[in-house]
Amino acid sequence: MWCRCTVFESIGDCCGTRQSGIDSADKAPHPISVLASSPASSPSLLLRTPHGSSQGKSTAFYTLLSRPGLITILAFLIGLAHNQVADPAPGITAAPHDDNLRYFDVTIQGPDGSPFQQGIFKLELFLPEEYPMAPPKVRFLTKIYHPNIDKLGRICLDILKDKWSPALQIRTVLLSVQALLSAPNPDDPLAPDVAKHYKENEKDAQRVSREWTQQYASE
Amino acid sequence: MAKVPRNFRLLEELEKGEKGIGDGSCSYGLEDGDDIMMSNWNGTIIGPGHTVHENRIYSLKITCGEDYPDRPPTVQFLSRVNLPFVSSTDGRVDTARLPVLANWNRNSSLETVLVEIRKEMATLTNRKLPQPPEGSMF
Repeated sequence: MWCRCTVFESIGDCCGTRQSGIDSADKAPHPISVLASSPASSPSLLLRTPHGSSQGKSTAFYTLLSRPGLITILAFLIGLAHNQVADPAPGITAAPHDDNLRYFDVTIQGPDGSPFQQGIFKLELFLPEEYPMAPPKVRFLTKIYHPNIDKLGRICLDILKDKWSPALQIRTVLLSVQALLSAPNPDDPLAPDVAKHYKENEKDAQRVSREWTQQYASE
Repeated sequence: MAKVPRNFRLLEELEKGEKGIGDGSCSYGLEDGDDIMMSNWNGTIIGPGHTVHENRIYSLKITCGEDYPDRPPTVQFLSRVNLPFVSSTDGRVDTARLPVLANWNRNSSLETVLVEIRKEMATLTNRKLPQPPEGSMF
């Protein structure tokens, strides 16, 4: 069966984004298992054609792309995304726009122990036409002093680019963004001036990050 | 069909503009690289050859409102120019008189606005219109 959970677990372990926050969040009931226990939205739905015949493994998804059931499948996937973000994780909220179910208002709380602690950062997330074959688009709306986030809020994070996998969940993406706040990586910068500051004088750079958090990210 | 929200649409346009569009006769970019809402843009048009506009460089200000791209941007020439759809007092482009703005749809973009204005400069009637001194500004 096409199970997102197991694939997610293996990917979560290999891309180095696993943080204590993610571990504790995984103890909460998994959105997929909630879905699976509800007869109305059994995951097997995903593997059936409009004629009801069973299809095998994830290749079924590609086959279905050319069939009339496509709209149903897309609606299901977006619905799945909504289930995933209904209660994503502690310190993270995500709410879809009424007039565009692919577009979410997101908030992420700055992780404790980071210069972004106590900040509430606004972001926006969009599931493009090609989702889940293409990654969601995510951007900070709140100004932030971070080497991997540029002036326009664009984020340099591998899973939002070449390391994207259709098996990754929205909540995993948002947890990874939150984890990025705890682990700035000035060696792979998107904001070169901030990265230079972080490399040359990390303490002073963190001071600026704290100031910006206080100035722009406090409610 | 997925409807790309304003901000992600403008990010796409920004990235396209940074790479350079067409033959380089039109270009655009953010007025202020810090403008997280990406509202204010600068555009440049190099006047088309074999017209009175040849070799002139025109600067424009383009403003994308909250409803962009459902609604067209507002466009204003900063360089003085004599064209029927441009106000001779402040350089504002009359949306109703420029087809790309009047018949705006989501497939239109900052690029198509500039490219269409440049085409207008080269029409039979507009290519010979007397122009203000080169380099003068509104």
